[in-house]
Amino acid sequence: MKLIYTDALVVGAGLAGLRVAIAAKERGLDTLVLSLIPAKRSHSAAAQGGMQASLGNTVKGDGDNEDVHFQDTVKGSDWGCDQTVARMFAHCAPKAVRQMANWGVPWTRVTAGPRQVVVNAERITIEEAQAAHGLINARDFGGTKKWRTCYTADGTGHSLLYAVDNKAISLDIPVHERMEALKIIHDGKRCHGVIARCLITGELRAYIAKSTTIATGGYGRIYEVSTNAIICEGVGQALALETGVATLGNMEAVQFHPTAIVPVGILTTEGCRGDGGLLRDRNGHRFMPDYEPEKKELASRDVVSRRMTEHMRKGLGVDSPYGPHLWLDITLLGRKHIDTNLREVKEICENFLGIDPADEWIPVRPTQHYSMGGIRTNPSGESPQLSGLFSVGEAACWDMHGFNRLGGNSLAETVVGGMIIGSYVADFCQQNELVVDTALVNKFSTELQSEIDELCQDGEGENAFALKTHMQRVMMDHVGIFRNGPELEVAVAELKELLQRSRNIKLKCTKRHANPELVEALRVRRMIKVALTVACGALARTESRGAHAREDYPQRNDKDWLCRTLASWPNANDLTPILSYEPLDVMQMELPPGYRGYGADNAIAHPDTAKRLDEIATIAAGLGSHITRQQLQQALMPFELPSFLRASNQRLHDTLHASHSKNTTTHTSNVDGTSHE
Amino acid sequence: MSNSRTLTFNIFRYDPQLPGDAPAMVQYQLEETAGMTVFIALNRIRAEQDPSLQFDFVCRAGICGSCAMVINGLPTLACRTLTAKYSDGNITLMPLPGFELIGDLSVNTGKFMRELAERLKLWLHPAADQHDIHLIEQPMAPDEAAKLYELERCVECGVCVSACATAQMRDTFVGAVGMMKIARFELDSRDARSAEDFYHVIGTQDGVFGCMTLLGCQDNCPKDLPHMQQIAYLRRKMSRTLIGISHA
Amino acid sequence: MLTKYHLGERWLGFPRSYRWAAVADRLQSASGVLLGLFLLLHLHFESSILLGKAAFYRVAQVLEGGLFTPSGHGVPLITQLFSLVMLLVLMVHAATALRRFPVQLGQWRALRNHLHLIKHNDSKLWFWQMLTGFLMFFLVPMHLVTMLTNPEIGPHLSAARVYHDNYWLLYGLLLPAVVVHAMLGLYRVAVKWGISFQRHGLLLLAKILMGYLIILGACSLVAYLVIGHSLTLPVTPFTP
Repeated sequence: MKLIYTDALVVGAGLAGLRVAIAAKERGLDTLVLSLIPAKRSHSAAAQGGMQASLGNTVKGDGDNEDVHFQDTVKGSDWGCDQTVARMFAHCAPKAVRQMANWGVPWTRVTAGPRQVVVNAERITIEEAQAAHGLINARDFGGTKKWRTCYTADGTGHSLLYAVDNKAISLDIPVHERMEALKIIHDGKRCHGVIARCLITGELRAYIAKSTTIATGGYGRIYEVSTNAIICEGVGQALALETGVATLGNMEAVQFHPTAIVPVGILTTEGCRGDGGLLRDRNGHRFMPDYEPEKKELASRDVVSRRMTEHMRKGLGVDSPYGPHLWLDITLLGRKHIDTNLREVKEICENFLGIDPADEWIPVRPTQHYSMGGIRTNPSGESPQLSGLFSVGEAACWDMHGFNRLGGNSLAETVVGGMIIGSYVADFCQQNELVVDTALVNKFSTELQSEIDELCQDGEGENAFALKTHMQRVMMDHVGIFRNGPELEVAVAELKELLQRSRNIKLKCTKRHANPELVEALRVRRMIKVALTVACGALARTESRGAHAREDYPQRNDKDWLCRTLASWPNANDLTPILSYEPLDVMQMELPPGYRGYGADNAIAHPDTAKRLDEIATIAAGLGSHITRQQLQQALMPFELPSFLRASNQRLHDTLHASHSKNTTTHTSNVDGTSHE
Repeated sequence: MSNSRTLTFNIFRYDPQLPGDAPAMVQYQLEETAGMTVFIALNRIRAEQDPSLQFDFVCRAGICGSCAMVINGLPTLACRTLTAKYSDGNITLMPLPGFELIGDLSVNTGKFMRELAERLKLWLHPAADQHDIHLIEQPMAPDEAAKLYELERCVECGVCVSACATAQMRDTFVGAVGMMKIARFELDSRDARSAEDFYHVIGTQDGVFGCMTLLGCQDNCPKDLPHMQQIAYLRRKMSRTLIGISHA
Repeated sequence: MLTKYHLGERWLGFPRSYRWAAVADRLQSASGVLLGLFLLLHLHFESSILLGKAAFYRVAQVLEGGLFTPSGHGVPLITQLFSLVMLLVLMVHAATALRRFPVQLGQWRALRNHLHLIKHNDSKLWFWQMLTGFLMFFLVPMHLVTMLTNPEIGPHLSAARVYHDNYWLLYGLLLPAVVVHAMLGLYRVAVKWGISFQRHGLLLLAKILMGYLIILGACSLVAYLVIGHSLTLPVTPFTP
């Protein structure tokens, strides 16, 4: 078997993976990326709407800063996130957007002067400042106080992915395409790389590395209908799970996006509503203000999806052969706006629905969209259990999203997380030696080889395609937007049976090279395990938080459930994961649990919440009134960052008021954030 | 759709890695369902009739560019091609010509695009002193940003290369995809390369002067990119650069 | 890290080696336009025979510079010189257009494969343009050499050539070839350099012109045949 050595190995060539690879390569490390597909085809490209960063250039974003972004993110997460990570993220997001501009992203820019926008179904005129002309624009997204989502029309993910992959090409970072990682090589404490299978030749290869970063995206395809690309099958999470050591965090936190088209489940961006689009029912009635008088269509995604489902359950959905749906109305935005800022949406409507969204309403329904859960990491992106194993992006539970992610925060997480974690990955590679233990490599490659041999043996067995469809149906029917105990029990029981059956898959096509059936078989048994972590986690969590909504436990229960679910699979022959819980410490929080400002206000309070609120008030009072917001923040919840990312972010607002302020922060400039002190 | 009909798929089958295998057209029958796309059909054929059938899909939403193939003589994205479009119910699928064949309908466009990017240096070459990421970004004319995005919508699906007889006849020809990307960077005010620098990479027989204006790119691009206009623009620009150089 | 090495551009003679590509492209288009426009005039002058022998005689006389010669007959040398110039333009066009030909068997196969596999109108049109171009490698020199060696033009002389020397065969092949090639070529030049992007309009115009020119040319050819048939050898030049 071929052994390939490198310093920093990255599995997955989407935005997050490539960004980590670039960070490592820029530090002079040998870097190598594995990908199922060509890098530019990664699912990152499908992100349409934009990425959040508190630049505050547009007048509707004036006054925005890291604090507001942080608060929106924490509220969006329903207090399920790691607030330190949310802080690291909010602080670096503006840097990442600006870096992306340096790398070639053609961000949509602000045009000075009056501009017509649609807000709350009314056309209003806003006046952009002269000084903001040509700076990066932002649009409105759900669950945010300010217009903060930076975008390039509605192809933001595409533009970002192309810029970042181009950067990777310019740095000569090799991407081994059509390579599927199927085993992590580890000794129970440290990760040493992966065993991967070439999807063209079928060859098994060992990639041995100092650090291994899993950036394989989410696990949406365990559901029958998902907005995700068909490669988002959770194999990355399964890789970590099958070590028996590493843990997956909050796997039950699965987001449903309000507006995927019916029936195929392709996404129409939140930008549609952000730019003024409305949701309507069978009577053409705009129903969201009835449920969410303040945020209306722009409450967070979990809330809007639930309200839509509630409304359809009342019989107010539009009947179709594919079940009920609702309407997304963007006709009021006008053809010009749609042709320039929502043209991918327009293309999707034309090709898959045969309608013109400037004239007709779009049939939409909440659909599985994002996996908040993933490989549990600490704030530096490393698995707490397996050193040298890193994870980033949607694949990870770095945990800035908690139980619900805000629109525009995932694209941001890829490049922001990639930038921060990439730096920690590089540190790790510089501080650690490459360990080459051929016996260990052989152990894992033999395991994989015999798994393949067994699948290819003659005989009667289960059909991989049928098992997958069955699993996807179970997840759709029983682990959806609204969940309850009996349904989840059915799901767990059925998935256990499927897992059992998946151990007896036999192939019809027994080719060892390019063989789609073999690929499917290897994946499906791993996917069922991932599905079980979701179903078991959901069954165990007897509360409702963010996207996890239990009909039998409708309250958010901070008293008993302010914690992160951890799933591990120590015994390969088990049929269910082992669940454990990692408490979130209210006494360390900068923003103790409270009301989100939208959705139900029914939380059971944590006993420490009041105490922490008092403590915060005391700290703030103790610091006096002449401190900056940064100083206050540091006093409440200090957070770590690589030194070159610590400088504060300059904003238009600061330069306009610079002459009045003594507190403008000075900082050492690092060109493009790539050099290091 | 009240009465469903039976579709007949004629699919190119060939596994170059299987000793003794020869290219052949194989026929599959499938009941059509409402809103069926070639993506749905191929997956059903694979799951229900022939698990060895190779093809590539990723986003299945017309965004990633993975699934280009020749459908009844037209190269296009299979995921967004509705079967209802073909009134006689016969659908012939061929792999994209001009790319390494992995097997059946799967071709290695990724390898081609990466090599092209390396050869033409298809990335932003910023001016030496990059803007500090902690400071307010450099402004850009809003119109320029919008135009750049227009040219950047290419998804590297390979349709323009397969639809171009010139590219088929000459392996070294950069194709519309290469020129579109050069045009994109040429337009970008952040890119420090001069017209002369671009002349190095596409002012050749393999570049813009090798294009015979057959317009297969323009007529088949699934993203409706303005290939005809951009190539003409580059041709004029590169041609003028030549005069500049001769007078220098 | 070690990377592949490349010869410096100066070593390779940049920009001189690159320049040829641009020059060739311009020359091809320019010579093509020249030839195409010439063809338009040529066919119209030629077809003046349809208005009678006298009309054609006048046209030939004027073009041969008859206004400036005392006899008023003009000098055939002008035809010769003009033919020579056109031969040169043609050579430039042929030399530069040769770059486009599928010169290797592999290229030819790729082209056939492409045309078979992909339904694309403009590619098919180009295929015809290329084939007619190829044909003209042989036909046009024959025509031009005749004009060089035998430059006398007149209603009788030309008709005799067509009828008695069997040149109708050459013109019968050359006419459709040159018209198809030239009209498609002019259309392509327009979109190639961005002179106009109204493709459908341009193509329609090219097709109308093609039909018109072929009918016009064919009618004149028939007229020459009719005149040639009525002549007895040796031919006496027409005088009005």
